[in-house]
Amino acid sequence: MIRLELDQLSDVTDAQSMLQKAIGVEFGTLPPYLYALYSIRPGTNPQAEQLIKSVALQEMVHMCLASNILNALGGSPQLNPQKYPGPLPGDIGPDGTPLTLHIYPFSKQAMEQAMVIEQPEDPPDFPVRELMLAASPKRAVTIGQYYAALDNFLSTLPVTDWKPGRSQVVDNQFFPGQLFAINSYANAHKAIQEIVSEGEGSRQGTEYDPLDFQDDIAHYFRFGEIFYDKVLTKDNDPQGYTWGPERLGVDWSGAYPAITDPAEHDFSKDPPEAQAAQKACNQAYSAMIAALQRALNGEDGALGEAVRAMFDLRMAALHAFTVPLADGHTVAGPSFIYTPIPTGGNA
Amino acid sequence: MSVLETPRIYFKGQVTWDPITSNNYNFNYDEDTGETIYPSVIDKVKKFRAQAITQVGTQGNWNPHGTHRVTFFDSAVCGFDVGAGTNTNDHFMNAAVNLQGMLVDLEPFGGISSQIFFDTMCFGVEGGYGIFASRTSRMHDRYINFARNSANSMIAGVASVVWQASFSKADGLSINAFDSFALQRLSDALKRDDVLGLTVRFNAYRTIYFDNPELTNKSPATQAAAKELIKKLNEGGFQPNPARSLLVGVIGLWREGEPPHEPGDRALIQDANSPLGSAWVRVDSASLVIDLSNSVPEVDKNLAKQDLGTLSIVAVEPTSQAVTNLGSLPYSQYDRSAYEATAGIVTVSISADAVQALTGQDIQIRNSQGDQLLAELPLRGIPATPNLYLDEGDQVTARFQVYQRGVPVSARIALQLYQTDAAGDPPSKVMQVTTDQNGGLTVPITAGAGSITAYVPSFNALDQPTNGINPQVNTYMYVRVRPADTSLAQLPPTWENVYVKVLANWNAMAPCMDNWLRLDDPVQVKAYAAILKRLTDPANFESFLFMPVTRDMSVGQRTLLYNFLDAPAVKSLLEAETETIPSFAELSRSMRRF
Repeated sequence: MIRLELDQLSDVTDAQSMLQKAIGVEFGTLPPYLYALYSIRPGTNPQAEQLIKSVALQEMVHMCLASNILNALGGSPQLNPQKYPGPLPGDIGPDGTPLTLHIYPFSKQAMEQAMVIEQPEDPPDFPVRELMLAASPKRAVTIGQYYAALDNFLSTLPVTDWKPGRSQVVDNQFFPGQLFAINSYANAHKAIQEIVSEGEGSRQGTEYDPLDFQDDIAHYFRFGEIFYDKVLTKDNDPQGYTWGPERLGVDWSGAYPAITDPAEHDFSKDPPEAQAAQKACNQAYSAMIAALQRALNGEDGALGEAVRAMFDLRMAALHAFTVPLADGHTVAGPSFIYTPIPTGGNA
Repeated sequence: MSVLETPRIYFKGQVTWDPITSNNYNFNYDEDTGETIYPSVIDKVKKFRAQAITQVGTQGNWNPHGTHRVTFFDSAVCGFDVGAGTNTNDHFMNAAVNLQGMLVDLEPFGGISSQIFFDTMCFGVEGGYGIFASRTSRMHDRYINFARNSANSMIAGVASVVWQASFSKADGLSINAFDSFALQRLSDALKRDDVLGLTVRFNAYRTIYFDNPELTNKSPATQAAAKELIKKLNEGGFQPNPARSLLVGVIGLWREGEPPHEPGDRALIQDANSPLGSAWVRVDSASLVIDLSNSVPEVDKNLAKQDLGTLSIVAVEPTSQAVTNLGSLPYSQYDRSAYEATAGIVTVSISADAVQALTGQDIQIRNSQGDQLLAELPLRGIPATPNLYLDEGDQVTARFQVYQRGVPVSARIALQLYQTDAAGDPPSKVMQVTTDQNGGLTVPITAGAGSITAYVPSFNALDQPTNGINPQVNTYMYVRVRPADTSLAQLPPTWENVYVKVLANWNAMAPCMDNWLRLDDPVQVKAYAAILKRLTDPANFESFLFMPVTRDMSVGQRTLLYNFLDAPAVKSLLEAETETIPSFAELSRSMRRF
């Protein structure tokens, strides 16, 4: 389970730091999810593909909403691409040991890791009010609890701390109905509610409802459907839902024979085609980050450049997964290695 | 009959429209041949794309980077009626309604032949309460109401339109009812033998552009928004500019004999000076159920409905013109709140005697002064294939079914069948025809050269399209014939030929394709041969992902493309310059234009 370090919140700067960490967490989940997604062979696992894609897109939305809140509080979002394998920013783990995220191809292992990332606390053990007032300087909390504490603190900020209309990413081009401007605490509260419920579901009493605010299945349970190869189904038992009996239709053999953690692989010994494929992936990934960085700081049109780069990354990845490495059998998808792009040019 | 029967379930929300608009103009596109009109011979694709961006400011081309995608969002179930009035107390309430499709105009220069190609429509989530519907046929728009909201005069913002599709039980329609009363009743009704499946009808209205509800045509703010879009487009990336509409909708029963794609209920047609758009009525055992989803105009951008006072509903005996009062509709039954709660469907109780009398009488809606606003046209001719695509040389038989007061006719009926041009202008041709003994009219069509025409049935002076198609009055069938392009099929399958004669058309018109496949990259095109053949296979014509999305590839173009895709990869075939070296034929033709 991911456990984020929760510092005591005393002023708007602390909230900005929390939001920056949240942006890193949201963005940090994308490479593992995208690697699993793109490693699915065309024509196999349509349901799993759709579920993983839907989560990845919502993580993008969450990152944009967290950035909108940060911008509304006068901050400036920064995308700091992390290295894989490695921990998510701010993860201290439930026992002091952070979870090392790996880049797995589509597999039970990949879905298990994804469930661990998205796992809610069950049963709830941490009332929100206590979070804010906690005397203990450091607490380890789930992503949902982290956002809950942030939300609670934001509710105490004076109206003057909110800067309406500052560098907001909205849904005029992409993600209709999901991206909206944060101009006040009410907007921020709505955004956080959506982020948490889409990730973990919603809490009802001492039990979790696996459905989010739009009655869609939360991320943890979407990955669970793939992991168990069962459709999460409403049931009359006390839990309210069961896994199955209907199968989702997962074919674990429908993945390319891709290596794990490609960033640790030495491609210099692989055929030139494989090296070129890696280069194309890393270029597209770097271009995407560069454009996103500008988009999250309010540059009009930059999100469109980031989306184009994301499609380029997808095309490069789909190709890379078909290019054999030196052993003639295995392949590698994107290593997600970021190389800064000189400023001044388009992504 | 239809969604006006109970049980029915209401929903509301929003929908985005992201069409590529560059093919909406005759200076960019020839809708007879399906060919892109390039501004130059050299670098023609690059220059076409650049010109399309310029046209945002000069020609109103508001979305050159569109994708054709249609996406429901913020849409959810909001009520139901199982025969005891509107109810919102059910586990199925608030279930998300999801539809993703492709918006394609059969006739791209106009707005009365739109379709949504899609694969599935879902109410709720799998495993939970839900209705899961696989496509039986594409969704069509009809009865566009150009007078819906004059306060929203931005592109098509003034208009509203009826969308409808039906889903057959035989195509995998399923309902997970669990303990939802509304879904249980719908599921039970679905088991009846004469119920073919479910029909979804929704009304799209209050469309806004540039994500700004305050814009109006030609205003300084609109010009500023266009400039911003041009700037974004010129700076690169993928820059769609989708429009969005509000929607209210209903899902209900689709019974045998009912048209799947447009309302087949009793039609109350707009009087020439009426503020109301056309409506539909079903007569139940003790009530009238009226679909006003496309009727009552909004008077401002806040969507207040026009207050026409208490409307009266009357029956008129056709011969004697004797009038019988059936009931009334106070403003509270058609105001905004009522509209959004029940998708514009209202129910008026009437006596059993009135029900009996209505089998031979016409229904009208009048205002408080007694002026006629809507009047029933008892006979309607509804095409089986409202938007028909043909290839040159095809010989087919199109079919219309005549309905009388919402029921398929069981008699021979004489009518006139008009033929108009692509724009739906005053007819060029009229045929006197008679249906078979079951009201069915067959129309043999031999597809000539590439063209677009429309067929309009008419029963009397009230529905004659003498001034062209009036979508508030007329039913119609659009037919698009794609040219054979047999000469293209004979060309050597070189990359140059394939690109210039086939792929460049869509590479120019659809910059969004760069996201998925570089149509100007022979290596990529060749690498995706199997997928390209699957997506362009006519067998997949109805599919969400069919290519080209505009459904305007000719047989000759497809043959040339497949010959290239099937040929072994020969390096010399792939190396030809494409953007800078025009064919001799193009050079020759370019000297005949200015």
